[in-house]
Amino acid sequence: MAEFSAEVFQNEFLSDGATDVHAIVSVTCTGAGTADKGAAAGASPGTSGVAEIIAVDTSGSMQGRNMEAAKHAAAVAVEQIPDGTLFAIIGGSHVASRVFPYPNARVPMVAMEPGARNEAKRAISTMSASGGTAISTWLRLADDLFATVPVAQKHLILLTDGKNESEPSLHLDQMIVNVMGNFQCDARGVGDRWVVEELRKISTALLGTVDLIARPEDIAEDFAALVQKSMARGVAAVDLRVWAPQGSRVLFVKQVAPEVDDLTGRRTEVNPLTSAYPTGAWADETRDYHVAVRVASKPVGSEQLAARVQVAVGGEVAASGLVKAKWTDDSTLTARISPEVAHYTGQAELASAIQEGLAAKAAGDEATATVKLGRAVQLAAETGNEEATSRLRKIVEVENEEEGTVRLKRNTAKLDEMALDTASTKTTRVRRA
Amino acid sequence: MTSPDERKETYPDMSADDGTLVRCPNCGENAAPRARFCENCGTPLGATNGDPSVPSEVTLEGAPLVVDPDPASGESRAQRSCAACGGVIAPDGYCSDCGTPGQSERDHFEERPAGWVAGVCDRGVRHARNEDAMALAASSNFAALVVCDGVSSAPDSDIASLAASRAARDVLVAYGPEGTSPVEGATSRRIAGWTDAMVAASRAAGQAVRGVAEQLAATNGKDAADDPPSCTFVAAVVDDDLIVAGWVGDSRVYWLPDSGQAEQLSVDDSWAQEMIAAGVPRAQAETSPQAHAITRWLGPDAPDTDARCAATVPSEPGWLLVCSDGLWNYCSDAHEMSDLVRRFATSGDPQTASAALVRWANAQGGRDNITAALARVAPSVPEQR
Repeated sequence: MAEFSAEVFQNEFLSDGATDVHAIVSVTCTGAGTADKGAAAGASPGTSGVAEIIAVDTSGSMQGRNMEAAKHAAAVAVEQIPDGTLFAIIGGSHVASRVFPYPNARVPMVAMEPGARNEAKRAISTMSASGGTAISTWLRLADDLFATVPVAQKHLILLTDGKNESEPSLHLDQMIVNVMGNFQCDARGVGDRWVVEELRKISTALLGTVDLIARPEDIAEDFAALVQKSMARGVAAVDLRVWAPQGSRVLFVKQVAPEVDDLTGRRTEVNPLTSAYPTGAWADETRDYHVAVRVASKPVGSEQLAARVQVAVGGEVAASGLVKAKWTDDSTLTARISPEVAHYTGQAELASAIQEGLAAKAAGDEATATVKLGRAVQLAAETGNEEATSRLRKIVEVENEEEGTVRLKRNTAKLDEMALDTASTKTTRVRRA
Repeated sequence: MTSPDERKETYPDMSADDGTLVRCPNCGENAAPRARFCENCGTPLGATNGDPSVPSEVTLEGAPLVVDPDPASGESRAQRSCAACGGVIAPDGYCSDCGTPGQSERDHFEERPAGWVAGVCDRGVRHARNEDAMALAASSNFAALVVCDGVSSAPDSDIASLAASRAARDVLVAYGPEGTSPVEGATSRRIAGWTDAMVAASRAAGQAVRGVAEQLAATNGKDAADDPPSCTFVAAVVDDDLIVAGWVGDSRVYWLPDSGQAEQLSVDDSWAQEMIAAGVPRAQAETSPQAHAITRWLGPDAPDTDARCAATVPSEPGWLLVCSDGLWNYCSDAHEMSDLVRRFATSGDPQTASAALVRWANAQGGRDNITAALARVAPSVPEQR
């Protein structure tokens, strides 16, 4: 049986008149692999309670090396999908088509078994590249297929190499809203002609990740890892719940590790004082959340519970952490800054500095880009994010790391910018003594 | 206006309020009603006369040591309500609506042994624990009100103060009209008798504090012995037409007649009081940094534990207030205290009034634990029960 625990890191002491309470809540799941997914989901015998779809871009631009690599990757992924998992393969261009089960098959998804695995690989080998790119049609087909299977955990791997150019972006936005909450999606871009922001929109809304695969030959390895990761997630549909007291306001709820993801806008109401934020399925892992609540100030000496942060699985609270506020006039207590809160505040700012800097650079606003990316260099150094530092150094010449003064490099590789962009939300964990 | 004598004639049945006598299960000795421990052998009697507002004792290694004043009923307090908003206290200890920490029974408790006698003992705002304690007993024309203020510098003074206040109350009840050795006779004889009773009560309270200290030393070792718990003591007895106050330390008794001169019956055993006696103005003495240094207290290191006493025979109705410095710090002068009590006592109900006094002190900052116990000494008292 999977178990959750929640640990709170904060400085609970507030000075007289202060109202804002910040805390990092570290949520850890253990035993996810042992969860009985089939029984929990009421799936039919012989199936595992997990459904997996792989959608591969088959637009004309994929022609050649990319298409061959993608086909190879899809075949590798099929190898990784364990028996009993319901699966399907989608080929996507300006329209989406079901590659496997074959279009004429009676069932929309089939349970993996050796025969199906061989047949799926044969189907994948027949895919060919032609047409445009309309990703909304891929999402709709995936949603239609997932809708036919009664399992709790549904995961889509989406691979593209190009821009979503065969439809107005409004179509994609609308489709994302339509399918939100129905399944999770990890999006991958290969090469340098796709748009990071486009895929990030999809993966963020669908509780997944976005990443760049620079070389086609790396697709297979990445797909294998994604399938394994998806299979390790034994607990579906986990909500983060935040209770805040009467008269208070939740300023924001952000996932800050392993990646920055602002959950604030995904709030649903459990009751007038409690909000729920979907976090998707969980494997054995730890995710950190930054919760900020504004409460009414109380007299010095008072104590107040500022938030109950809970993990809810299937509507049942599985773990709970308490965020407190204590008002004091002892400045040695209030001056202490929680190292966890400081670290992740910096990491979140780092992510937005990188994204805003790259956006400004793309728009030709070099002044803003220089300031933002300079700030990013400074933050990456301060928070010890060496990966971000090395990626930033490919885009800018650093004059002074501590002060954040940089010059934009000329003739940088587009791939380097995209790599920096996609990795911007990845955070380093705070070093704990 | 009727005299206290008429009150007694109108309502001669003094035992009605407190029920029957309690017999010690160990030695067979008759104990005073509401007695917690046998006077003879010290066996805990545990009778609370069904009054859920009276916290019971929990014994620690057989001794009458109060550690947690949960109701004797053992009923679950799962549905505690929030003192701030009235919401439900969740299992995590905080209000499910406003997030205010739930108060333990020890942090805030009220007693109302009779309709004309009630008190509230509260942690206040600033302190982490409620080291004040209160123990009340009353029948129709007798009341004993005891308040002890634990000394914050010593750990476990909250346990000591509660044990002390209850021990003293039980002694005073034993001297009461339904007790084993009632104080009787003419007023002057009774003043002498109650003075003796007060000293016996303060000594019993002192003994209770020493008992707590010894147990803590036995359990926790040297540290506990080096810094033993201690507390103040103040008590007032209303015996028909007579009020007697006794004290050790700076907790106070005020007599606040409805129209006459308000007075503080107790005289603080404190540095501030010594300065006042030496001619320093009261306001200046009481706001000096050492104002709260007390010169007498109860505890293993106390030079003596005999209460100093004062008596008065009220000629008109009024309020008897027994309180800790958590209240009087914000309103020391007897006349101002009289105005304050009158402001909150318009309904004539001592429970409403004492709760209002505590709320008021909390609103002033609640820098210390707050205890306020009131008795309405008035010809019309029995009708309010």
